[in-house]
Order: sequence, then C-alpha cells, then structure tokens
Amino acid sequence: MELIILFAPLIGSLICGFGWRVIGEKAGMVIATGLLFLAALLSWIVFLSFDGTTQIITIMRFIESGSLSTDWAIRLDRLTAIMLIVVTTVSSLVHLYSWGYMADDPQFPDVKYKARFFSYLSFFTFAMLALVTSDNLVQMFFGWEGVGVASYLLIGFYYKKQSAGAAAMKAFVVNRVGDFGFALGIFALFFLSDSIDFSVIFADMPTIAETRLHFLWTDWNAAEVCALLLFIGAMGKSAQLFLHTWLPDAMEGPTPVSALIHAATMVTAGVFLVCRMSPLYEFAPDVKLFIAVLGGTTAFFAATIGLVQNDIKRVIAYSTCSQLGYMFAAAGSGVYSVAMFHLLTHAFFKALLFLCAGSVITAMHHEQDMRNYGALRKKVPFTFWAMMFGTLAITGVGIPFTDIGFAGYQSKDAIIESTWGAGNMYAFWMTVIAAALTAFYSWRLVFMTFYGKPRGDRHAHDHAHESPLNMLIPLGVLSLGAIFSGMIFLNSFFGHTDQVAKFMGIPVAEASAVAGGDHAAADTGHGETDSHATAEAGHGEAAEGDHGAGHMVFAGTPGEGAIYIAPDNHALERAHEIPWLLKLSPTIAMLLGLAMAYLFYIVNPKLPVRLAQSQPAIYQFLLNKWYFDEIYNVIFVKPVLLLGKLFWKRGDGSVINGFLNWLAMGVVPFFTRLAGRAQSGYIFTYAFWMVLGLAFLFTWMSLSGGAH
Amino acid sequence: MSVLQDLLREYLPILVFLAVAVVIAIALAASAILIAVRNPDPEKVSAYECGFNAFDDARMKFDIRFYLVSILFIIFDLEIAFLFPWATAFKDISMVGFWSMMIFLGVLTIGFAYEWKKGALEWE
Amino acid sequence: MEPNLQADLAVILPEIVLALFAMAALIGAVYTKKDALAPVLVWLTAAVMAVLAVYVGAVESGTHMAFGGIFIDDDFSRFAKFTILIAAAVVLIMSQEYMSKHGLLRFEYPVLICLAAVGMMVMVSAGDLMTLYMGLELQSLALYVVAALRRDSIKSTEAGLKYFVLGALSSGLLLFGASLVYGYSGTTLFSGIIQTTQDGVSIGMLFGVVLVISGLAFKVSAVPFHMWTPDVYEGSPTPVTAFFATAPKMAAMALFARVLYDAFGGAVGDWQQVLVLLSVASMLLGSIAAIGQTDIKRLMAYSSIAHMGYALMGLAAGTEAGVEAMLVYLAIYVTMNVGAFAFILSLERDGQPVTDIKAMGGMGARDPAKAMAMLILLFSMGGVPPMLGFFAKFAVFTAAIESGLYWLTVIAAISSVIGLFYYLRLVYIMYFGEEAEELDHRTQPVLWGFLMVSAAAMVLGVFNMFGVDTAAAAAAATLVH
Repeated sequence: MELIILFAPLIGSLICGFGWRVIGEKAGMVIATGLLFLAALLSWIVFLSFDGTTQIITIMRFIESGSLSTDWAIRLDRLTAIMLIVVTTVSSLVHLYSWGYMADDPQFPDVKYKARFFSYLSFFTFAMLALVTSDNLVQMFFGWEGVGVASYLLIGFYYKKQSAGAAAMKAFVVNRVGDFGFALGIFALFFLSDSIDFSVIFADMPTIAETRLHFLWTDWNAAEVCALLLFIGAMGKSAQLFLHTWLPDAMEGPTPVSALIHAATMVTAGVFLVCRMSPLYEFAPDVKLFIAVLGGTTAFFAATIGLVQNDIKRVIAYSTCSQLGYMFAAAGSGVYSVAMFHLLTHAFFKALLFLCAGSVITAMHHEQDMRNYGALRKKVPFTFWAMMFGTLAITGVGIPFTDIGFAGYQSKDAIIESTWGAGNMYAFWMTVIAAALTAFYSWRLVFMTFYGKPRGDRHAHDHAHESPLNMLIPLGVLSLGAIFSGMIFLNSFFGHTDQVAKFMGIPVAEASAVAGGDHAAADTGHGETDSHATAEAGHGEAAEGDHGAGHMVFAGTPGEGAIYIAPDNHALERAHEIPWLLKLSPTIAMLLGLAMAYLFYIVNPKLPVRLAQSQPAIYQFLLNKWYFDEIYNVIFVKPVLLLGKLFWKRGDGSVINGFLNWLAMGVVPFFTRLAGRAQSGYIFTYAFWMVLGLAFLFTWMSLSGGAH
Repeated sequence: MSVLQDLLREYLPILVFLAVAVVIAIALAASAILIAVRNPDPEKVSAYECGFNAFDDARMKFDIRFYLVSILFIIFDLEIAFLFPWATAFKDISMVGFWSMMIFLGVLTIGFAYEWKKGALEWE
Repeated sequence: MEPNLQADLAVILPEIVLALFAMAALIGAVYTKKDALAPVLVWLTAAVMAVLAVYVGAVESGTHMAFGGIFIDDDFSRFAKFTILIAAAVVLIMSQEYMSKHGLLRFEYPVLICLAAVGMMVMVSAGDLMTLYMGLELQSLALYVVAALRRDSIKSTEAGLKYFVLGALSSGLLLFGASLVYGYSGTTLFSGIIQTTQDGVSIGMLFGVVLVISGLAFKVSAVPFHMWTPDVYEGSPTPVTAFFATAPKMAAMALFARVLYDAFGGAVGDWQQVLVLLSVASMLLGSIAAIGQTDIKRLMAYSSIAHMGYALMGLAAGTEAGVEAMLVYLAIYVTMNVGAFAFILSLERDGQPVTDIKAMGGMGARDPAKAMAMLILLFSMGGVPPMLGFFAKFAVFTAAIESGLYWLTVIAAISSVIGLFYYLRLVYIMYFGEEAEELDHRTQPVLWGFLMVSAAAMVLGVFNMFGVDTAAAAAAATLVH
C-alpha cells in the first residue's frame, strides 16, 4: 500500500508527461489526477490505521559502496503518516483545482501545456513523498533535490516570461546554498556513525554528542556541527531568514503551484527534517536555541514585510515565510510535535488561501494587484467564504480557554505557549507580535479584496465571475480542514506527555524512574515491538493515574518512535502551565491586528496612504523587503559576477582558450609540417632516419644501462 | 662465459682465414705499388675491353633481362649452397633429411616451372 | 625424431595445406588459363583461408611444440592466425572486383597473398630465431611484390622498391641482432635464450635485443622505422594497402610479443624502455603527421602508425593484461580497417578510384547509409566512447596504468585527442564539407556488406566484444607465464 502511495504519482507523471501525445492531453490529466486521488485515499487509510509502531518497508538495495550500504526503504512512523496525508491530500486537491485554473492560459496561446503541468505536479508529489518516506539521509536528499527540480520547473513554467525564468533560477541557486549545508551534514553524520540510515545514526546519537571535531582553530561538538549543517539545509528549503529571498519570487509560478509547493508541502520539508532528526537536535541545545531564535525572527520579519505588499500572492508568500518561522520556533523549543501540528494545519489553511487567491485572480483576469480589487464579496461569494475561513484560521480565531477554534488558533497558540514553555522569551514575544502583524495583513488582504469600492479596471470588475466547480470543491474540502483539523488533533500533538507519546509511538516512564538514572540501559535491546509494548504499558499506567499529571516523561532511546524528546526536556509540560494572561496574549494580539486593519481599510481608507507618506523611511524599508535583495546583490551577486567574468574573459578566454588555440593552431601544425618535411620521399632519408633512430636507442640503452 | 668462449673458439679458424685473406690482399696490392715499374702512356691508361676501345660510358642502362637472369640464377646458386653440405653429410642424415631436401628441390622446381611457363627464360 | 615426425607435421598442418595450395594454384594456373582463372582463384583462396581459420580457431586446442621447439602452436598463435586468415580472406574478396576492373587481377595475386599468409602464420608460431626469420622473409618478399603489382605505375613500383630496400635494411638489422643474441646465448631457440637471460642481460645481448626490436618495429611501422609506410600505402593498389593495414600488422605484433615474452621474458625491464619510446614516438607522430594529409590512403598510413603506437603500449606494459589488451586492440583495429578500406575502395568517380579526402564532401546527404557507417568507424578509430575502438584504447590504457606507466598513458591520451582531430575532420567533410563533384553512386555489394558489418560490429561489439576478449585473455595467458 505504501508502495502504491509512493509510486502512483511517479507513474502518473511519466504517463502524463511522455504519453500524452499518444493518449491525448485530457487522458493524461485524468490519469495523473486519478492516481493522486488514489494515493490520497490510501494515505488516509494508512494514517488512520497506523498504530504508532515504526515500520521499515524495504524496496530494494540502494547503495553498496565500501562501508556505505543502504536500502531504498520506506520508514513508516507517525511523522511519515502525517506528511503522507498532508502531501497527497493537498496535492490531489491542487490537481483537481488545476483543471479549472489552467483551463486557458494567455501565456501559451498555441502550445499544449496542460499535460506538462500535470506531469510536473505529479513528479513533485513523488519527490516529496520520497523525501518524507525516506529511511536514510541520502534517500531524503534525493527527494530533497527532486522537489527542488520540480519547484524549479514549475516556477519557471511560464518559460517565455523573463521574470519567471529568473525566479526559477533564483530559487534553485539560493537552495543550493542550503543544500550544500545539508550535504555537508550528511557527510559529517556518515563520517561519525559510518552509516546514513536513520536508525543507526539515531542509536549512535549519545556517542556522537560526546565526540568533538577539530576544525579551524578549535574543537566543536559533533552533534552541534551536524545539527547546524542540516539546519542550514532546512533554512534554504523552508525560506528562513537570510535564505528566504527566493520564496516571494517563486510566486511567478502558476497559483496552484504556489499553493502546493510554496505553501503546503515543499517549504515545510525543512521543518520535517528538523523533526525527523529530533534525536540529533535533542543533543544539540545550542543549535536548538538558534533555531528557535531564527524562527521567531523570521516570523516577525516576514510578517512586517507582508504588511505593505500589494501583490495578493506576495502577501500570502510572506505569510508562509512567517508561518514557517513559527514552526521552527516550536521545533527549536524542543516541542517537535507542535511544529508538526502547525505544519498540518498550516498546510490546509495556507493552501486554501492560495487557492482562493487563485480563484480571485482568475475571476479578475490574471490581475494580482490588490489595489485593483475591492468589493468582490458579491461577485465571488463562495471564494469569499472560503477565504474568510482561511483568514480566520491563519489569524487564530477561537474562544479563549476552550479548545474550540479554527485550526490556526490551536496550533499557533500551542507554538507560542511552547516557546514560553522552553523559556525562550525572545521567541515568545516575537511570535506574539507576529501574531498581531499576521492578523493585520491577513485582514488587510480580505478587506482590500472583498470590501470597499471596486478599484482599477472597470472592465475586469464587470466580468468578474465565480470559478468553476472543479476549483470550488478543493476550496470546500480545504475549508473543512482549516476549520476542524486543529480541534481534532489538538490532544495528539499538544496534549500531555502520555497523549503525545502514544500518538508518536514513544515510550514513556515515570518521572521518578528517570530521575533514578539510566533509562537508556533499561531500554537497551528492546526491538520495535518491545518499545511499542512499553509505550502501551506506559499509557496504561498513565491512564490509571492522574490523567493530566505531569509526572510522566518521555523515555526510550533515540530512534524509538517518530520523534525523540530527551527525558530532561520538559517544554511540553511546562507549556501547559503558562499563566492565563500570557495564554491570552495571542488572542489579544490578533484582535489588535484585526482592529487596526478594520480602521485602516474599512473605516478610513485614506489612513494607510497618509501613514506611508509621514513615515517614508519605514514604509520604503518594508516595501523593499528590508533591502535583502539589494544587499545580497551587492555582497554576493556582483562580486561573483565580477569573478565569473574574470574567469570567463581572462581565465577561460585568454588562458585556456589561448593556450589551446596556440597548441592546436600553432604547435601541432608546426610539428605536422616538420613531419611532412621529414617525409622527403628519398629512400636514403628514410634509411637515415632508421639508423638515426637505432643510434638513439643504442645510446639510450647504453646510458640508462637497461633495467640495471 | 665459458659457453661463449667455446663458441668463439670454434670460429677461430675463420678468424685465421680472414686474417690470411686480408694479409694476402694487402700484400698483393702493396707489392704492385711498390715493385712495379711505372711508365704510363695514353694507350696504357685507356680502358681496355677485349681489344676495343670502350663503346660507351660504363654507367649506361642495362637491359632489365640481365637482372632477371641473374636473379633466376640465384635460385640455383642457393640450391647448390644447400646441396653441398647435404651431400657431404649424406651418410649421417636420416630419411627425414633426405626427403627434406627432396621437398626443397620440389619447391624450387615449382618455381622454375612457373618462370619457364611464364616466359621469363626467353630472351625475346 | 622419427616417431615424432607425424605429430610434428600435424602441428604445422594448416601451414602445409596453405603452402601446398599456393604452389598448386601457381602451377595449375600457369599451365592452364593463366589470368582468366584469377577471379575463381581469389574466391577459392579465400575459401581455403576461411576453412583453415575455422580449423585453427575451432578444432585445434592445447599447446604443441614441433621440431624440437622451433615451432609453437598455442592459444596465442591461434588467436593471431585466426585473425590473419580471416583478414586476408576478407581483403581478397574485397579486392576482386577492384583489381579486375583496373586490370590488376593476375593469378599471382591470390597466390602471393596466400604465401604471405603462410609466412605470417610461421611468424606467429616461431619458437626459434631461424623460424622467425623464415616466416618474416616469406611474408616480406610476398608483400614487396604485391606492393609493386601495378607495374605500369611509377608510384606503385616506387612503393615496391622502397619497401624492398628498406625492408632489406630492417632484415639486416634483425639478422644482426639475432646473431648477437645467438652469440651471447649460444642458441637460437627462444626457450634457450630465455634461460640465459634469467640472471641478467649483458650489454651485447642488450644490443642484440634492441636490434631485433628495431627489425620488428619496421614491420609494424613504428616510429622511427615507419618512413616507408605512407609512401607504400599511397603507392600500392588500394586492396593491397588494405591488406598491408590488416593482416601483417597482426602478424608482426604477435611476433613482437612472441619474441619479447618467449625469448626475452626475463628482461622485461630492459625492453620495456625501448617499447615505451617507440610507442610514444609512434602515437605522437602518427597523430600529428596525419593532420596534414589530403590523401586518404596516406592518412590511413599515419593512422595505422598511431594505432600501432597504442598497441605497442599494451606490449610495453609487460604484463599479461597488457598482452591481452594488445590482442584485443589489434583484433578491433583489423576489423575497423577492413570497414574503412571497404569504404575507401568504394570511392570512385567515373570508374576511377578517388583518394582525395575532399571528394567525400557532401557524402552525408548523398549516401547517408555509407556515410553513417564510415562515421561510426571513424569515431571508433578516434576512440569515441560508445564505439568499440574506445574499449580497445581503454584496455591498453588500463594495462599501462596498472604497470605504472603513467606518463605513457598521459601522452597516449593527448595524442588520441590530437588524433581525433583528423578523424573528425573526415566526418566534417562528409557532413558539412563543401559539396564535391558527385561520386559514382553504385557501391559493390561486397564492399557495402563489409562496411556495414564492420560498422555494426563497432556498435554491437560493445555488449560482449563477440568473445574476442576472452579469447585474447586465454591467448595472453599462454604467452605470459
């Protein structure tokens, strides 16, 4: 079943991509979409019937080289199961949505492009599934690069557009920086544990944590180094601060792509990586702190830029960047389950927002500037409501002190509480402020689009129409996810220790038992089933005792269960003990943002302009995205271009070309002429050469004395 | 090295012969120079060819047929060169030795038959 | 001796049969219809050679010595003989129509080829310096004559004469070397010589070895003993050139290996240096000088000089792998050359042979199948990867590397890059070159067939080399102990 899930998209992609000329464009699209829905269905079956036990499903021998030998295998645990449903569900809905969205495209008047698009989408899904199901780092890297390629192809889908090509290249190049770190991390881990299999590496973690690597001027903790390198990879893929510049530009791709790749799935791969490697990060507290700080900063930073953007897709893109920051803040706080929780809910509501945006864009004839929208509520009512649900979810609307609320309410509050639980006040305040900013820009988007007066091209407004059914169904399904996913999964991801442990398949132990000492020794030699039994037993005990009590802690060795949380990591439990005022703070922040947005865009639409004029410095700073692109341009792009030009003109042009030309057009012909002249045609010359050669051989042999 | 010396010793007579030949040749030439009375006149120094003056330059073109004949002669020349030692040792060699020579002669005969039939022996 | 005679004769049966056939053909033809019989004789000779090739290749097995060790029949010699016989037969068949069209098809032609083949077979089986020289001379004398087959052409007679005079010089060197070797070892038997070289080689012996190598180098046209090659290739009738480029090369190289391993196997370090020098010089000169050629036959001459350099490289490795690589290289080289010369033979304008490379201009459009086949062959000769020629080069390079001859390999790689230039130039001329005056469109089916088979072999051989490599490995194993 897992095999079908993994390979159905690949088969769909191949049939659709190479076979559409034979079977027709439409048939190819039907096959690709159908196979994806099949994969989604099976994924849900896998997810719902999954019992928490880690399974390894070997497919084939992958690499056999020296001491490096590994299988191509599917590692099925809770993390994988979650990612499976996220990826296949969103992907299948996006496939369906694309039927409507890609129906007619002004970019390709005479060319058949749809089969290509669907093939790319399916290929992306396959690569993403390969990434999340991987059993070892190299397999993961394969998926990692596979989604990179698919992303490149899809961002540059409108290859006739200069900016699309440039954006695709930018995404690829910026990701290379991260991938370099990732690759180095893989090398380092292989160097340390002589394996790339997760199970081996995880089991090795306590040893690695005590290893020191000498590099440059000092010794480094091996675990910290590996953790940091892998996180650099995650930063690139998940568009964290400093490596985020590609994500907004990636909006050049078609909107379904933005929804699938640049919101719901691929960009969350970094978060997934950190969660997957949780045994490593648990042994690297410094890097964890760095992740939390960087995540919080990104959440804040991206939200500030989102405040002033006018392109509807760019607003959502920065929103994505910001939400990813949230996830990292949670992961960095050591509460990986919460990061995954937000990943799940975010996938639903962000995909929903993007698809709604796509619906609006098609309604407005590919107009993306929000300043030309307004009063679309009546024109596209269904989209409006879907957008509303999405916005309610992302801003985190819910009833305080209960578990009732939209998806974002559960997961975002969980993150904010987790950062507090981990004692990271910087991340806490950053995420709270970002929550206010999120509310502002999200409502600003809604107000500018659906309320007020129609602006811009009248013709476009007159012809604005609701999207076809195949675009609205995905909106409906995703709306359900945006509303309910938080409430359903809250306890599994952000319950008490025993609840989370059961969900993730992690053994637990009495707090006192751990305090007593070597839990690792106690669990040594336990197979997967054994540890599962332990988990069951732990759960049983917990059920007997005080259900909400905090005296249960995570136990087990690294690699048992889907994630590993060190016994001394109490962030999850502490998060539940947050004071009521702080627990209320995200809701207050959200209301504040809403109120500001209402004031700015409904009550007094002139206000934003005035504010921008009175504070030009800040406005320009934000509008120009903190000048990151410009700074990078000066620091990296220009010098590299200069260096490249130097190598090209001087190195390649003058030195290499010059040398080879000299050799090929000067030296060799010279010798050719010489050889030609030696071939005089006179027999005595020939005999002379023979004797001369012989004399030379004699001399040579006499002087060198043969072998002696 | 002793093998080599034995081998060389076997060649000693040849060396002696060589030395004798050189000595005699030099002696004859030298005696002609030293002893002979020199009294040249035009008739004496002119080329002498069977009582006639030379008709032509010595480096004229020969008819190719001369070469042909001389080459064909070599066949028989070689044949004799092989036959002599074969004949002298005839008493000691086996039937294999006898038939080997017969085959050799047979092969030569084939060549001879070919050149005959081909007309190489006809002057015109 | 008596009881062994029959066994001895059985060992040299293929040579006896071929020699008897040659003599019978000579007498038979000269006493009946003479030249009118020639076409039949060509086919008959080819058939006899093919039968003998099958006999040599498939029926015989094991290692046999005859006549007290002066004649050796083993896997190595059989590999060489098989190649020689097949190559000779194929070239004969290819030449039949060309020769008769140009009035060159005398009945002596197949007989001479036949005798040359006997000589070559004796060469590769030689176990004694005498046998070696006998075989070599039988081959050479026959070749001198066929080189000058076109008696009314100045170029052809010049080719024959040059070949003869220089060949005599090289024979002299060889004989001088052989007598030195004999002088210092006291025997002409290879098995005896190798015993005396076991513990060190004296300087006189060393000179003998160098002289013998020089004499043999002339036969494989290795630099600086190559000077005859371009002139002879150009002057001889094209089928004869095709013959020169194939069978004798195999024979001479096999003999080379035979002498070096069977007789001087104890002094690998000594002759290795000489071979490295010859190899380097051949590769470089062959590649560089070929660039300036406009006549395709001359070009092929330099090409074969370069190829012999690569083959010598395998020999210079001084290992079993090296000999194997050399044999594989030669087998592939012979196959390529058969195809290439089939192509060259088919180049005619108004019934007259054309050898200017410019005449191939526009071939790619006019005769795509032929041009494509030639393209494959040229790529293969240049050593472009998917073709068999690449694997031939790869084998010798590997052997050289494994013997630690890194510099030799580097130079070989450089020269193969240079060499690629003139092969690719031919491709360029065929496909993008200036349109030349149209050539005769009809290609003889025989030539066309051999061209296609050879080209196909270059591509299909990639899969298993048709078993040549295993045969070569077995052959190399019997030679190198």
